[in-house]
Amino acid sequence: MSVGDALRRLIPPGSYVLFLLFLAGIWLAISPFVMTTQPSGSHWIASTVNNVTVGAVMMVVSLLGIMGYMLFALGELIREAEAKRAVVKQSEQLAE
Amino acid sequence: MQTTRPSIGKYVCGMAASLLIFLAGGWLILAPFALGYQPYNASWVSQTTNDFVTGIPVAVVALIAFTLFFMSLIRSLAAAGVVVAQAKVQPQASVQYQPATAAPQAPAANQSDLDRTLATLAAALAADLTARRQGGSDQQNDQSQTILNRREVQ
Repeated sequence: MSVGDALRRLIPPGSYVLFLLFLAGIWLAISPFVMTTQPSGSHWIASTVNNVTVGAVMMVVSLLGIMGYMLFALGELIREAEAKRAVVKQSEQLAE
Repeated sequence: MQTTRPSIGKYVCGMAASLLIFLAGGWLILAPFALGYQPYNASWVSQTTNDFVTGIPVAVVALIAFTLFFMSLIRSLAAAGVVVAQAKVQPQASVQYQPATAAPQAPAANQSDLDRTLATLAAALAADLTARRQGGSDQQNDQSQTILNRREVQ
């Protein structure tokens, strides 16, 4: 299996979309400060707390989704490679 | 040939993440009214506009991500033979007899790498066995020819 095929199996189209949502989470977390809706030097207002919390949750969840898929797919690839190696070894023994 | 066992954990992982983010998008749309930082009967404040403009695309994109992971799961299950694609209903007249051996060839495109390797290996072993058998029968023919020649000489 080529590196491209392996990468395609590790990163499906859904993971790219999750990465977009990760970027949206970053924007959401910093938006109160970028748009200056949060007054500087004062306690965070309700909208700032909400946006930062939801943004952080989105970042964490999307990263967990991407990494979780990648870990499962990596384990699957390793299992397949081991099975293939065992079959090749068995066929060599049969040929001898 | 039997296909490899599908692992659905990775798809469930992606689908769960997408679903959670979809809910977060929905909350973003509701939050200005639920938390009370959008006054009633007034034009939208900038926080409300930002939450709406971010929340709606987040919910839509999360739904797209969920659909992509779900479609991948269905494809994986179909490749493993768990889910069978619905055959199109054809008119009775055009139905012809199909031998039973032709059916398992359909998911050839969906076969995993391991299955293809196993198929190639099986074909190679079969060819090797055939070659050995032919070699053995040739040797037998040679031996019988030699015996005949000896008898003729005697």
